[in-house]
Amino acid sequence: MAERPDRWIGVALDRQIKPGSSNPAIVGGNAIAVWRAEKGPANVWEDRCPHRGMRLSFGFVRDGMLRCIYHGWGYELGGHCASIPAHPDLAPPKTICANVYRSEERYGIIWTNLSESPNAPLPDAGPDQGWQSIRSVYVARQVAAVKGGLASFDWGGGRVEEIGEGAALVNAGGLSLLIAIQPVDESKTGLHVVAKGEGAKDAKARLAWASRLERLRGSIEAQS
Amino acid sequence: MAIKLYDYSLSGSCYKVRLLLGFLDLEYERHPIGFYPEREHRTETFRAINPLGQIPVLEDDGIRLRDAQAILCHLANKYDMSGLWLPRAPELYGLVMMWLMFAGGELMAASAARLHDLLGYDLDIETARRNAHAAFRILDDHLTRREIEGGTWIVGDHPTIADVACFPYTALSNDGGIGLEDYPALRNWLRSFMHLPKFDAMSGISEFA
Amino acid sequence: MAVTTDRAALNEWIACGWPEKVVPGGKYRTVLLGQEIEVRRTGVSSFEVFECDGHGELSRSLPVQAKYCCIFTTLGEPIRPLPKIPEFDEADRRITGCGSVGVHTSPFRIIENFLDMAHFSFVHTDILGAPERTEVLAYKTEHRKDVDEIWAIDCQFYQPAASKASKGGQMTHYAYRVMSPFSVMLYKNVFDDPTRNDAICLFVQPIDETECLAYMPLAIVDRESALTSIIDFQQTIFAQDRVILENQRPALLPLDPTIELPTRADASSIAFRRWLKAKNFQFGVYEKKAA
Repeated sequence: MAERPDRWIGVALDRQIKPGSSNPAIVGGNAIAVWRAEKGPANVWEDRCPHRGMRLSFGFVRDGMLRCIYHGWGYELGGHCASIPAHPDLAPPKTICANVYRSEERYGIIWTNLSESPNAPLPDAGPDQGWQSIRSVYVARQVAAVKGGLASFDWGGGRVEEIGEGAALVNAGGLSLLIAIQPVDESKTGLHVVAKGEGAKDAKARLAWASRLERLRGSIEAQS
Repeated sequence: MAIKLYDYSLSGSCYKVRLLLGFLDLEYERHPIGFYPEREHRTETFRAINPLGQIPVLEDDGIRLRDAQAILCHLANKYDMSGLWLPRAPELYGLVMMWLMFAGGELMAASAARLHDLLGYDLDIETARRNAHAAFRILDDHLTRREIEGGTWIVGDHPTIADVACFPYTALSNDGGIGLEDYPALRNWLRSFMHLPKFDAMSGISEFA
Repeated sequence: MAVTTDRAALNEWIACGWPEKVVPGGKYRTVLLGQEIEVRRTGVSSFEVFECDGHGELSRSLPVQAKYCCIFTTLGEPIRPLPKIPEFDEADRRITGCGSVGVHTSPFRIIENFLDMAHFSFVHTDILGAPERTEVLAYKTEHRKDVDEIWAIDCQFYQPAASKASKGGQMTHYAYRVMSPFSVMLYKNVFDDPTRNDAICLFVQPIDETECLAYMPLAIVDRESALTSIIDFQQTIFAQDRVILENQRPALLPLDPTIELPTRADASSIAFRRWLKAKNFQFGVYEKKAA
């Protein structure tokens, strides 16, 4: 079993987890499903149906429930199984429950804390409002190498400041970039990047930052 | 005269053609080829139809075509009166062709990985998966930029045959042991595609998008 | 890859190919329970199987039987003969294998999925199940001790297109038969003919604990369909199952009923897991690691 420390880890951009969808992600070796009902906040669950172990990231959303693709078992927000299609007249026992992790949406990023007793605070990047999503990039290097790459990258005059273990802030002129750092496994790290300020207002500026993040990924992966 | 498709249910390349035939509401006669285990596509009889020994092959009014991308071009050119699936506007046409070539080229690494895992093809699976990931990253980077611009499809404001050609082996990546965890824009594009009217799933792709 | 030491697995007949996989005079290598073997087709219907040693050289000769469109061998001392499946001797049936399909999971996940009806509406939508008719009616399971087989009988499920021969929906009646831990079959009534059953087998070759090849020999009643279409139908169904099978976690089958929670529809799965547990299977099963 992979470790599940008490800390908040960004796993996706809010905007990229569409209403009525379930999505796969890996956090420190733990497989999770990030899903959203037709409306409302995103949820982060263990990627495993309690019935026969099928990954819930393959599931589909109907009527506010996440349904497993294998047998259609439906799970409500909070994880309780509310529907077993093989037995339409049966009220599912309360004991059948998906493994639900804590999740929060802040700064346009979806964060999760996989710990059984989560107490740590979310990284503090100031007010929640006004963040625009740039993009997620996945870098084929472990966290330490990626943090080194963030520090040495040419941000156009900006400098990088770590906010706790799981995030970094870049201030570059009229723009702040918030980077959530997701340890995927021993060889991969995800970065979820949002921006605030004049320099991120229009699509053209955000496209330029998205391209810059591709270069960041390339520069880190070019190092052995 | 009827359209005839030499087809194999589990072939992602044949699926490209079936998808477009569906989107365009075209009736056709399906001629199943025993691709596996019979290897009918490698027989002399079939090589008389396609000397490359590959499926799909499409016959339409005396024309016989091989290569899924060429067939998509033919069908869209001949039958799509709207011109949306194969746009002729100069700012779109070349881009559609470029991504069609990508679907028949770089993306086929995902097909190779699938043939290895599913049907036991003897090839270097690590190389196939690595190349498939490289292709998915290129497509995801492109679709990320499209998202930022407010676009959904690979080219323009309407799905084109470039989307049709890129969809199958991307959606079937799990069959070759390739996860899509790292490609959020690509996953959302797949989902939009599966919500298109007249979309039809195949084995390995869920009906419940 | 280490060869398993689990006698329960070693002492079974296991499929390791099909006759037409190579031409007469041809040979191929494959792996069974972690052991590399070489299969030789010495004539049209004669075969030899050898174990390979650590250097790839042939060592001991293994028993071999060609039956039910498959080649079977064993690494141990079989505790049972190959099952009797008389349908394969009936002259009016269409009899074919479907090659082999690779699946990355435990052999027992593959067997268990084959026994399951509750997934038809979701995984085989509009073919073996309809989205609006999902109910699994009560059925019986039994352990037939004389042959040591698990059976599920009186099974029924509504199917929009039960087989290649179907021309509409029907309530299909099923019986399932687990013939060994690595082989299972089903009988399902032919479209529009309750008096005859199609016989569909699934033999699993475990390469190791979480990598398998699946063989699906059929002996079915269908005068009209081309053999190619019959195989195409079966492969379409199995490829729908395969994406599920490769994405169950853990890949190894948990035998402890608190790890994966069953319901009434899972009676056959419960019986199968109990039966494996009673055999003290170690190969291919999930052991909860002590914290």
